[in-house]
Amino acid sequence: MHPHLQSIAIVAYVCAMGLALTHLVQRQPLVHRLAALSTLIGWVAHTLALIVLAIEVGRPPLGTLANAVSVVVWVVVLLEMLVERQSGVTVLGAFVMPVVVMLSLKASVARPASLAPALGNAWIWIHIALALVGIAAFVLNFAGAIMYLLQDRQIRAKRPGRFYHRLPPLETLDHWTYRTLALGFPFLTTGLILGAVWARTAWGSVFTFDPLAFFSLVAWIIYAGTLAGRAAGGWHGRRAAYFAIIGFAALVVTLGAGLFLPGRHGA
Amino acid sequence: MALFAAGLSHKNAPVELREQLAADEDKVREILRDLVGGGALREAVMLSTCNRVEVYGVAEVPGEARAAAFRHLCRQRGVDAAAVEAVLYIHAEDDAIRHAFRVAASLDSMMVGEPQILGQVKDAFALAQACEAVGPSLHTLFTQAFAVAKRVRSETEVARHAVSVSFAAVELARKIFAQLAGRAVLLVGAGKMSELAARHLVEQGAFPIYVVNRTWSRAQELARALAGTAVPFEELGTALGAVDIVITSTGAPKPIVTREMVARVVRGRGTRPLFFIDIAVPRDVEAGVERLGDVYRYDIDDLKSVVDANIRERLREAQRAEAIVEREVAKFRARLSDVEIIPTIVSLRERLEEIRAGEVRKTLARLPDASAETRAAIEALSAGIVNKILHTPITKLRESSRAGAHRSWLAVVNELFGLRRRG
Repeated sequence: MHPHLQSIAIVAYVCAMGLALTHLVQRQPLVHRLAALSTLIGWVAHTLALIVLAIEVGRPPLGTLANAVSVVVWVVVLLEMLVERQSGVTVLGAFVMPVVVMLSLKASVARPASLAPALGNAWIWIHIALALVGIAAFVLNFAGAIMYLLQDRQIRAKRPGRFYHRLPPLETLDHWTYRTLALGFPFLTTGLILGAVWARTAWGSVFTFDPLAFFSLVAWIIYAGTLAGRAAGGWHGRRAAYFAIIGFAALVVTLGAGLFLPGRHGA
Repeated sequence: MALFAAGLSHKNAPVELREQLAADEDKVREILRDLVGGGALREAVMLSTCNRVEVYGVAEVPGEARAAAFRHLCRQRGVDAAAVEAVLYIHAEDDAIRHAFRVAASLDSMMVGEPQILGQVKDAFALAQACEAVGPSLHTLFTQAFAVAKRVRSETEVARHAVSVSFAAVELARKIFAQLAGRAVLLVGAGKMSELAARHLVEQGAFPIYVVNRTWSRAQELARALAGTAVPFEELGTALGAVDIVITSTGAPKPIVTREMVARVVRGRGTRPLFFIDIAVPRDVEAGVERLGDVYRYDIDDLKSVVDANIRERLREAQRAEAIVEREVAKFRARLSDVEIIPTIVSLRERLEEIRAGEVRKTLARLPDASAETRAAIEALSAGIVNKILHTPITKLRESSRAGAHRSWLAVVNELFGLRRRG
């Protein structure tokens, strides 16, 4: 990836995060505009960086896990900007950008290692792309859950705190976490199944230990349980929000494991 | 020309005095005619509400005119001038601009951010316009004041958060439910505040409305008033299962909605939250129901503390609004002085153009054989001279206007070139 463009993107994301958090507390329209601008600048730089990279390697910029995470970040930022514009929830950035920054930094410090040996099969690209869309949806799911818990806490505490007026209603946030879960889960599931099928054809076994595969299975089980609880058990509100956070923590561990532990996904 | 704002308000004048001075439309018309028609003021707008009586005016010269204007008002209303003098404030120039902006933006109101004042200022301005008491200065001032008020409303949250118990309750409901349209409301007991809260909810689309009361006839009466349905008191427990928002305000000595009752209905509600607004003292809803799943309960003290927090929030926002006003005052000062010098610049140009055109005509009359080229050259020469001469004085006028020292310059220019006064 073009190093300068990538640095610009990360710096802009960090600025956007700081501004978005300031906006959450201070509620200055100017700060929000700056945060939005900074996010856009970061995203444009990020887009260019990905294009340059794709041209350099002559294929989609998903060759290493670090690149793939970078694409997740790109999708998440795009979704964040669209949703924020459409819903008018100006505080969304404050909850999404920290995750964006965390993932970007994680991806940028990982040693570049290629997944190359088995790449070349079209299925692997589909496996990666589906998993990425799933992860992007779960980032938004996580942001919604955090907002739900904050808002619920403020209303129950009977003291309108600083964010009370800015956050959307509880019901909206609950629907939000449900919808992002329902969106992300099929993608993650299909992505995992493709990975497993492909692992069998490549290595002859589905169950060879790979840290990323292991933790993503853990995350999948958590999300599957939450979705089942929501769909059949009437789960919602705080319980669903807690599980969204636990599931996302598992995903973060998954990516961390993939980036920093030796295994089939690189490093 | 001197801009001023003189008056008294809830801040320092007792209500008895404000009452005496307050004038209805006809009286205001009469006063404006006296002030402007009588020549005491060049322009005037009078604002008379229950919280303030003020005159915004433009006098020929600063000083005496503004106090005189108010003394006239006192005589008119038969009020002791000395009593008024003691609490009268007179703001001049920038202070007057600031005052007009603050009043229109509701920063000078008893409840900061209350929405009525802007309409009242607009009415007062329209009335003065109808009386032909408004000239260019006050016109610019008031149109800008309305713009500032709009800016303050949209850029700060000074008028945003509920400052009454019933509105705070509705605001809370809006933070729990995605939308209020189609939410069922149950009203238990009757009371001014609970009825008001129910009305606000209905305005937001809440439907249907159920009314429970120990007295059946009272329940029916209230149900009719709110276009709702009366429900027998014995069915309160069942009704809880069917509604989303419950407003209680009975005189019962003990809670009438118990934890047990709520526990019974909560399971069947699925993901729908249940919100209790308990305005009764002693309370009607047993404390602890909020620990049952998605149940939220606010009693009157909780609502009052929300209101207090919102008022504090408004005051904090008011400080940001003051900063906006301050910036707008500075911008406006520059504009206002432009408004004052532009007529002079225009007449100056017109005067010299008149002279030039006249002289060129005379010269050309004496040169019948002159070619088209010569004529054009003479025109260009004369126009060039006029422009060169005008350049420095106009630049000087503009500069002095920005520096705020344009009045003496204007007088000199008008005098030297024998210009008619305008505006």
